[in-house]
Amino acid sequence: MNSEMKNSLLIPLSFATTDGNKTGSWRFLRPHFENKTAPCSAACPAGEDIPQIEMLTAQGDFKDAWETILRENPFPAVCGRVCFHPCEGICNRGNYDEAIAVHTLERFLADTAARYDFHPPAPVAPPHNERIAIVGGGPAGLAAAWFLSRMGFACDIFEAAAEAGGLLRWGIPAYRLPDDSLLQDVERLQTAGIAIFTNRRIDEAFLTDPGNRYQAVIVACGHAKGQKIGIPGEDSATVVEGLDFLRDLRAGTTVSGDGTTAVIGGGNTAVDVARSVVRLGGKAVIYYRRRRQDMPAFAEEVQMAIEEGVTIRELVAPTEIKRAGNKLLLSLQRMVTSGEEAGRARVVPDGDNTESAEVQHIIRAIGAGPQESWMEPPAEGPDTLTLSHSRIVFGAGKRPLLYAGDLANATKSVTHAIASGKQAALALDIFFRDGAAAIASHLAGCTVGDGSAQSLEIYLDGERKLRSAHIVDYAEINTDHFSFAPRIKQPRLLIEERRRSFSEIEMKISAGLAMKEAVRCFNCGFCNNCDNCRLFCPDVSVIREADTRRVNYDYCKGCGICVVECPRNAMSLDKEECA
Amino acid sequence: MRRVIEGSQAVAEAVRLAHVQVVSAYPITPQTHIVETISDYCEEGIMQARFMRMEGEQSCLAALIGAQLMGVRTFTATSSQGLAYMHELLHWTAGARLPIVMAEVNRALAPGWNIWADQTDSLSQRDTGWIQIYCEDGQEVLDSTLIAYRLAEAVNLPVMVVLDAFYLSHTYEPVDIPSEEDAYRFLPPYAPRFRMSTVDPRSFAGLVPPIDYMELRNDIALAMEDALPQIQQIEEEFASLFGRRYQPIEAVSCDDAEIVFVTSATITSTTRLVLQKLRAQGEKVGLLKIRLFRPFPTDLLRQALKNAKKVAVIDRNFSFGASGIFAQELKAALCNLPSKPLIYGYIAGIGGRDVTPEVLEDIYRKTKATAIPDENGVWIGLKEKGHGC
Repeated sequence: MNSEMKNSLLIPLSFATTDGNKTGSWRFLRPHFENKTAPCSAACPAGEDIPQIEMLTAQGDFKDAWETILRENPFPAVCGRVCFHPCEGICNRGNYDEAIAVHTLERFLADTAARYDFHPPAPVAPPHNERIAIVGGGPAGLAAAWFLSRMGFACDIFEAAAEAGGLLRWGIPAYRLPDDSLLQDVERLQTAGIAIFTNRRIDEAFLTDPGNRYQAVIVACGHAKGQKIGIPGEDSATVVEGLDFLRDLRAGTTVSGDGTTAVIGGGNTAVDVARSVVRLGGKAVIYYRRRRQDMPAFAEEVQMAIEEGVTIRELVAPTEIKRAGNKLLLSLQRMVTSGEEAGRARVVPDGDNTESAEVQHIIRAIGAGPQESWMEPPAEGPDTLTLSHSRIVFGAGKRPLLYAGDLANATKSVTHAIASGKQAALALDIFFRDGAAAIASHLAGCTVGDGSAQSLEIYLDGERKLRSAHIVDYAEINTDHFSFAPRIKQPRLLIEERRRSFSEIEMKISAGLAMKEAVRCFNCGFCNNCDNCRLFCPDVSVIREADTRRVNYDYCKGCGICVVECPRNAMSLDKEECA
Repeated sequence: MRRVIEGSQAVAEAVRLAHVQVVSAYPITPQTHIVETISDYCEEGIMQARFMRMEGEQSCLAALIGAQLMGVRTFTATSSQGLAYMHELLHWTAGARLPIVMAEVNRALAPGWNIWADQTDSLSQRDTGWIQIYCEDGQEVLDSTLIAYRLAEAVNLPVMVVLDAFYLSHTYEPVDIPSEEDAYRFLPPYAPRFRMSTVDPRSFAGLVPPIDYMELRNDIALAMEDALPQIQQIEEEFASLFGRRYQPIEAVSCDDAEIVFVTSATITSTTRLVLQKLRAQGEKVGLLKIRLFRPFPTDLLRQALKNAKKVAVIDRNFSFGASGIFAQELKAALCNLPSKPLIYGYIAGIGGRDVTPEVLEDIYRKTKATAIPDENGVWIGLKEKGHGC
């Protein structure tokens, strides 16, 4: 200090810390970490933990990501290919730029699992004494067996056909779901000790046969029998059933696709048939009584069908089939829209406006039902319990009988079938532990968000049980922390190749591309350790310990900045409780 | 090296020569060219400083407080609303005894929105404990900024180097830019007298009870008193190195003057011309430029005005309910003298209105013709009501 100075540079300085000033007492609002539910996972019939799957994928932790899928869905190779991915339709990122390609990433993880021969960890549940019979080796039956085995049950699957898979094996063409991809998922069940008895057709008597060794039977035979149109001239000589056509194709039986084939219907089976006809060298025309936008088939599949040369005739209904030499004459009534019914345009005949088409083949794909009447679940009664994806029949002193898959599902899709199998498995576990009366309430306790999907992880008291049921809305995402990035473009076979081969259309993607896509995910409601809360806290009151964080309430003033700056709403701000 | 540069660039050159280590800024006209130039220097590596673009002026000063506590030399620049927004932290800086230097481009306060020259922004911060230096031309801006660092670091008080909007900030003039070596000789690297350290951790700026607080405040007052002899000493040293002499006040032809203009900033240059003209006409007129406003150089002013009969203070600022601020301060400085001149306050050039030689001659004539000054000050050049007012 300059001696000429009068001032002596007095400054307030303390050797003690300011830790004694516990500013947390100023707090009126209390921030806390609270993982919530992402809209995608609530929309997924199987309740997959999508924000976690994408987080792990973005981090390159493909094995954990794959195991995370497997906790809720045993068939990533199948669903990555054929699920109609409702998750993407509801994806919050869709409001920002484009939805995350969840199905593409699921497929990538399945490919990666196959490439590196990943195996799921062994189940931790103690074994049950009960043994479960499952009738039908389609997606619902296979899923039920998988989840039962995860919970310690022994189960046997009885499959009428020569191979397991049901509709996946016989009803979906190879260009969408190749045999080896299905096998990849099915073999995992066999590795897990589930017995699949093929060529074993079960009859009605088995269900109630007191002599069999099972303590419960799950009926999951699917809808394998096509419905008739009900028009003059429709018989087995003139009309081929679409599911039969596809089954013959998958079985390698020679099927003819010469000339023009009329495909009646607007669902996925109709589109699969038409696209297969094109691949066999024929010309396919889909006749649908409603408009193209009303077709129940996935819009993307319809689009690809058109690219491949399928013609779609909308607003025409078949009225009669006649033979005309070696061809068939299909009479059609033109339809017009008139008002609405069940959320879509109602169609009515357009007076006497008709037309006809001369075709080589007519293939019908207007819907399907159970093969035998005993497969139909019985009507609701005092002994039945109807759940969202299954129906259970209890009889005094009798073993419970569960109906699952297409037999019990309103929506006939692979992932709904998986959800149904899971629900049946959970219901049985509850039944054998706590009795029939506990089933409904226990199941309600393990739904994902407010959705109808049940989670095995939640049921088994895993980490997901801690998440709030609140479904994160787009408005709750802090998009300031994201930048626009285009969705991955799914690489596909060239159109010329697609028209002439049954090779799988969708090609593999690299790990680099998968990570680039996964990193786009908002991870709605799920902390991905981005650390924004800690970096933005003006009071250094978010403490990081190893890989977790906590709020230091001694000093947190409740400003809420951490909650606002959390990009994904994985934090909440509540009113402070006054003592 | 002599170059034709803007007043804003003169500030930037001084900041470069001072080897400032942390610069924070939020853009506001007419301060922008200062920080634009500095950010270019940082970008190009001409300056080895951390340039922080902040979200507002309050944060600008808060960031510098943190940086300066870590023992580095810092700089920011602002204007008008930006300075007003810093108000709390202006007090903080002085209270924490941090030698931060700021360039403050005088600009009118809103509303109505006006980006032109007006001193009310900086003068209304007179009680915050910042030293204030008002500059007349580009050379003085550069030199005062270098002097400001010496002074700030000598007494541990912050310094505001003040320059008029556009008349100075955006006007190109030849400016002599010192060499790195000369600048270094005048202003060696910062040697903080206290700093934050993780090796020797202490809490700064904590609670001070009544039993100690008064002494702390008195020490700031003493430091402010120390600043006056210190700046004179530093200005002497500057003159011996660079040949340019500055003083807290500058008296021109005051010894025999009956009427003395008291001015600050760029109005001084115009007054110098008017002075020559009036002197040529035989008028006994003088000029007193106030360069250092805080600490207010009371004794120097008393000495310079001891022979004057009337003093015409030109204020490009106003304190509502009182008068022009320089006039107020001058009255306070002289009031205890047994014999003192009459103080005439004139409000001119508010919101950037031009103060021409004719305006100043008019002020001279009014002062000469008026026996009793108007205590509220006289507004010069007001339009009559109804003319677009």
